[in-house]
Amino acid sequence: MPRRNDIQRIMILGSGPIKIGQAAEFDFSGSQACRALRSDGYEVILVNSNPATIQNDPEMADRIYIEPLLPDVIRRILEIEKPDALLAGMGGQTALNLASTLAHDGSLAKIGVELIGCNLVSIDEAEDRDLFNRVCQEIDLPICEAHACNSINEVLEAAEDIGKYPLLVRPAFTLGGLGGGTAWNKGQLVEIASQGILHSQIGQVLIEESILGWQEHEYEVMRDASDNCIIVCTMENIDPMGVHTGESVVVAPQQTLSDRDHQMLRDAALRLIRRLDIKGGCNVQFAFNQDTGDYRVIEVNPRVSRSSALASKATGYPIARMAALIAVGYTLDELPNPITGEGTTAAFEPTLDYCVVKIPRWPFDKFRTADRTLGTSMKSTGEVMAIGRSFQEAFLKAWASLEYGQPHPRPLSMADTSEGEGMGERASEELPDEILEEWLRVATDRRMGALYEAFRRGWSVDRVEEITSITRWFLHQFERMAVVDAEVVEAGKRGKAESITSEMMRSWKSNGLTDAHIADAMAGYPTTGWRIKENGVTEFDVMSRRHSLSIHPVYRMVDSCAAEFAAVTPYYYSTYEINCEDGIDRVPHPRKYSAEGEEARRLVVIGSGPIRIGQGIEFDYGAVHAVQAIREVGHEAILINNNPETVSTDFDTSDRLYFDPLTLESVSEILLREGADGILLQFGGQTAINLALPLDGRLEHLSGLGLNLKLEGTSPDAVDEASDRERFEAFAKRAKLKMPHGLTGSTPDEVRAAVQEIGFPVLIRPSYVLGGRGMEILTNDAQLDAYMSEAYIAPDKPLLADEYLGHAIELDVDAVSDGEEVLIGAIMEHLEEAGIHSGDSTCFIPPQNVSQEILQTVEDWTERIGIGLNIIGCFNIQFAICEDELYVLEVNPRGSRTFPFVAKSTGIPLARIAARVTIGAKLSNLEIPERTTGLVCVKAPVFPFIKLRGLDPAPGPEMKSTGEVMGSDIDPARAYLKARLATELPVPTAGGVYLTVKDGDKASLVPIAKRLSEMCFTLYATTGTANALKAGGVPVERVYRIAEHHSPDALDLMRQGKINLVINTPSKSGGAVLDGNMMRRLAVELNIPFVTTMSGARMEVEAIYAAIDGIPEPRLLQVDYLK
Amino acid sequence: MTSPRGFSPGDGQPGVFTPFCGIDAADTLLPKPSVEDGVGRGRGVLLLADGSRFEGELFGAAAVGEGELVFTTGMTGFQESLTDPSFAGQVLTFTWPLLGNYGIAAGVSESSGVWPRGVVCREWISHPDHRDCIGTVHEFLLAHGVPGITSVDTRALTRRVREHGVILCQFGPIEMEEEMVKRLEVMTSPDLDDLVDEVSRNDAVLINEGVVDGNGIPKPRIAALDCGIKYNILRQLSNRFEVLWCPPDIGFDSLIVDWQIDALFCSNGPGDPAHSGKAMSARETLAAGLEEKMPVMGICLGHQLLGLATGLETYKLRYGHRGANQPVVDLVTGKVSVTSQNHGFAVNPMGSEPLAPHPIWQSQGAPSALSEAATKVRFVNANDRTVEGLDVIGRPAFSVQYHPEACPGPHDAAPLFDHFSEIVGKEMDGGLPLSKRGVS
Repeated sequence: MPRRNDIQRIMILGSGPIKIGQAAEFDFSGSQACRALRSDGYEVILVNSNPATIQNDPEMADRIYIEPLLPDVIRRILEIEKPDALLAGMGGQTALNLASTLAHDGSLAKIGVELIGCNLVSIDEAEDRDLFNRVCQEIDLPICEAHACNSINEVLEAAEDIGKYPLLVRPAFTLGGLGGGTAWNKGQLVEIASQGILHSQIGQVLIEESILGWQEHEYEVMRDASDNCIIVCTMENIDPMGVHTGESVVVAPQQTLSDRDHQMLRDAALRLIRRLDIKGGCNVQFAFNQDTGDYRVIEVNPRVSRSSALASKATGYPIARMAALIAVGYTLDELPNPITGEGTTAAFEPTLDYCVVKIPRWPFDKFRTADRTLGTSMKSTGEVMAIGRSFQEAFLKAWASLEYGQPHPRPLSMADTSEGEGMGERASEELPDEILEEWLRVATDRRMGALYEAFRRGWSVDRVEEITSITRWFLHQFERMAVVDAEVVEAGKRGKAESITSEMMRSWKSNGLTDAHIADAMAGYPTTGWRIKENGVTEFDVMSRRHSLSIHPVYRMVDSCAAEFAAVTPYYYSTYEINCEDGIDRVPHPRKYSAEGEEARRLVVIGSGPIRIGQGIEFDYGAVHAVQAIREVGHEAILINNNPETVSTDFDTSDRLYFDPLTLESVSEILLREGADGILLQFGGQTAINLALPLDGRLEHLSGLGLNLKLEGTSPDAVDEASDRERFEAFAKRAKLKMPHGLTGSTPDEVRAAVQEIGFPVLIRPSYVLGGRGMEILTNDAQLDAYMSEAYIAPDKPLLADEYLGHAIELDVDAVSDGEEVLIGAIMEHLEEAGIHSGDSTCFIPPQNVSQEILQTVEDWTERIGIGLNIIGCFNIQFAICEDELYVLEVNPRGSRTFPFVAKSTGIPLARIAARVTIGAKLSNLEIPERTTGLVCVKAPVFPFIKLRGLDPAPGPEMKSTGEVMGSDIDPARAYLKARLATELPVPTAGGVYLTVKDGDKASLVPIAKRLSEMCFTLYATTGTANALKAGGVPVERVYRIAEHHSPDALDLMRQGKINLVINTPSKSGGAVLDGNMMRRLAVELNIPFVTTMSGARMEVEAIYAAIDGIPEPRLLQVDYLK
Repeated sequence: MTSPRGFSPGDGQPGVFTPFCGIDAADTLLPKPSVEDGVGRGRGVLLLADGSRFEGELFGAAAVGEGELVFTTGMTGFQESLTDPSFAGQVLTFTWPLLGNYGIAAGVSESSGVWPRGVVCREWISHPDHRDCIGTVHEFLLAHGVPGITSVDTRALTRRVREHGVILCQFGPIEMEEEMVKRLEVMTSPDLDDLVDEVSRNDAVLINEGVVDGNGIPKPRIAALDCGIKYNILRQLSNRFEVLWCPPDIGFDSLIVDWQIDALFCSNGPGDPAHSGKAMSARETLAAGLEEKMPVMGICLGHQLLGLATGLETYKLRYGHRGANQPVVDLVTGKVSVTSQNHGFAVNPMGSEPLAPHPIWQSQGAPSALSEAATKVRFVNANDRTVEGLDVIGRPAFSVQYHPEACPGPHDAAPLFDHFSEIVGKEMDGGLPLSKRGVS
């Protein structure tokens, strides 16, 4: 069927903020869709609330709205824009639910918008469990016995009907399986099902026969309007059924199905997509019983998904682009396969000659108290992917990409039972077998390490299979990894790096061992850690030995056809062959030349790895902009990254893409292959900047191999001066910048002395950390003792203690310096006081409560820091204003997470400018667009509390948010309201408010409460707060504190639905701590908004006042941006 | 001990009293033979006619492998490929790097033997895992006397074949390198051998004699000319017909007089379709069938022979189509099927120049039409637009280059067997099958 000419304007919905269950994959798919449709001549209108995406960069779509993804907002934008069609399949469950709502309530029909890609019936049949089961029965596909239930009574009846536990609870219409789980008894069933009903958009859960222990397989299917169907990729989960596929370690293509098994599932997948009449991409999940050959259809996602992003990166096949083109009428055979160029069409099934492994990235390294058990709802924030010619190689490469601090599986010890920084003394205590068995039995983030450990200990495949139900094929692979591992340990007993023969080296490398892994194993895995080796073999030794043997990786193209056709896509991965030519596998591409005949420079950009707390999609945005800036001026941009969800790893973003770990080793090898001239480390977050010093240390060795590399931008020494506490303090003193009094300590005694000198309260944290891990505010000696007992202190890892500036206003500044001149992107004012991690704060552009005079000082100091530290490129500074005095808190010599927010608020593409400066341009020579004025832009964080039990849902000095949203308006309150609405928590305009604040806040609560009362809210407060309010003349109902064990307490009121907002400033001591924690937890589970700071409370009240007038009018981004 | 399952497609079909029983290649592993620990027959080397060499480790049978080097890109179905007679004369490279993940199973083979003259892979799996697994790929090759070489950089090798075209090769112990170099110099193309003769059946047999449909009416009888037929074709045919499994050179007269067939089928097979050996006999029979307006279907080599029979030419592809992901467009409906393919030659459509030299023609000259019938191209490859299927104009006859019987590969094209069944039904026009008319 040809292209549809009856539609011209298409609206695409994004997926909103990054959250658990919905990460960067929809930025990737949405961007592909926008580009595909625009280059085909359609006008694209995009709505997304997330400022950090590439997708809503002004050049990605014709008309962009950064507005809350709520039905009322989308309806209004549809009315304004009157597009011909709505494409909802690119924005995940969020977009699909929105489209479904607007279709069902008649809005689309009324406005005259056609839903393309996937029709309403298809969505309903795929998403409504009951309808879906009927569809499967109709076409004879086996499904689990299941009952859709809309109430707890129905749930209990269903359980009786099925007749045996465990039972699986699956809520309908949620993302990431939120609210689901496995129930082993009636009590659990009631608990899980009631949560599920609550979180399901249609109040429905499915009670199902359990297929625990079966294999899980996924099929990525494409279908066009002419009914042509293909399978793009098959995927197999290592974890058996019972663990959400987003939480599973996944292998592509599937490994353990015979051709007959595979064709049976393939047939089923095709029959299903045909019956559902899905046009575009979709994903079918199966459970497969390896012992009997039986299977069950689990579910269909009638849209592109996280799995389709993975499948795209695993095969090279651009699923989202094809799905978008199919939605406008093209058929697969009309479309060329962009990987191979004109040679093949999109109507063929990719075939692989490598193995792909995906491992999820969990936040348990930061959230030590969170429940780590993996089940049917998601907890991971992102994922890594790795490609190898064997399973072992791919698995170990993926592991090296995770960045948990251990780049390879080390023998487990008691230190691993705690997620403290080190637990040095427990590292020599062996992990008991019972604990190991438990870690194998219960799926957690520790399971893969436990598998490795079990085989290290010589456990049999039978035994591990018995415990884990993992398919034996995988266990044999792990067993082999352990055998190779032992071989290396043995070799280490006989000699050092020089004793490694070429044959040994090739064998180990082709089994996926990194240089660091080999060094660590040869040193016998010292308990002091993989880096610190006394008299052992170092990573550098192994690399040097390897290089002296001329052993380097070879690079293979991801071409979707196993080399059958010559491909044009410069998308590579590294691998070690056992038998291949020695030496560096030089890139075959000739150098580019500019129009003036000048040789283009080869510049490498380091991506940011998996999405995790503290390092989100913002850094992918940075890397993509750096690549674009390099290409703009005619140089070659080479990108390295390992995150399959992102735009940066789309094969046509850069001149060449390397899908490899972001380790010193793999980056060095790519630099050698490319003969790179420069490397940019400022744009991939902490991951990239952390490579600066180590890489600098290796340059001499690499230059011996012919590499003439420059670290572009800020020098490693300047990076160190900015990051190293003591060096920076000295600089600040010289530059006459005020800092909070701070001291470092490398031993417990030194730390205690430092705290003594500064005086409580202090802000304490380890040095060189990501996202503020381990940062706490301490107010007394008891807390200090508790902190020290968990912290890891070593001479190379001191603790920093800072004077805590109470009631300070915090400012963030993003800027670019070329060494002579500084461009300030924006000054942002945090809504929350200093002490809340800047990544978790709500912030305003421009600042709302800061005097011109101080702003002037901020600008002045920013300039002084940029030029004084000789920063070339981007940097970010955090300031605090305490009692009208300005303090510098921290300088980050790299792009920050607010870069995209600044760009979208001011119209200044800061990352792009920074990249140009980094590679040598002067600010004075760049055309910098005029700054947007007259608007207030607000960035608000989005938290994962709902997904992570055991985590206190209150912001603090440790970052907890996963993503952010933006709102903008000429009125600050309305801008804030938009941002608040975009966080997907309701903004109440009537009902009850529960107030309980610490003593210091009681006075300032009175005017806030008064306003709420005037807006006809019913106020509830505990005794102390109530007394303060009554004294202030505010009517309030007194309730019991939870600790008082009397009814009604806050929890009762919340459960009764009487509370629509909680204002609670957490106390650091006493019964109120637990009270507050329980209350916030319940608020999270009941989806009740809560505010934990007074400044937040003031703004919340403003927003409520604005909300009474209705949702503010949407604003077109480009009106202000592209003037 | 598990008993051999063999190959018996007529077993259990209504009306069949003495179903034919043949050998499944995997039967040799039942009971599991006690083979020595097969890991490592030592260092090996693979030599190509263009002078390039690839080192690896030997496995499988202790023999020198020699043949025409080809590659297949399928990720599953290695057992089906190893037992596909179309691979006779060739050394088969698997681009999928983990050969034999799920091992060898009984009842999955496509013939009674292993046909490639050697196997090249990146890694063979010594601990396969599947409920039906009865052995490793190493044990299977050993049992069938086929050598293999592993730890080869198959990606580089595939690129070599892609750039050079299929190429003659030798592989064996590295100590024999010099000897193999000499053998390679005098080696001739397996296309010159009568490969069809090597792999085809020598006698005719009804595999489901007496089969009836749901109403007790005998099914039409079809002759399946075996040029190296895959078992699943026989299975597919026997579900719809009474199948005479016969040699390619049985002759059309014998089929009509001795066997009273109602329809004619010509199978896949190895080698050059223009070869003057048994392939020529099959071609003549097809031409006679067309002249008699008998329903005719051809697959793969059978398709090429049908093309030759109607005066079209065939030519050798650079490196062929071997895999499970080839897209084929039906020019009538516009629909695409993902198909399983394994062929090195193709039919040249009317009016085009031959695209590659034809080894056999040099000695024998181009073929002439044996039949008056004309054909129309019905299916083409969506990638390179080569001919994938022909309709014979005005006759109940068609052929496809790809494998609707799959095994390995997708089932997209399976409806073609029903399509043929309908054609035959229409030709019978409700009457009893020709083969049964004498009886009634």
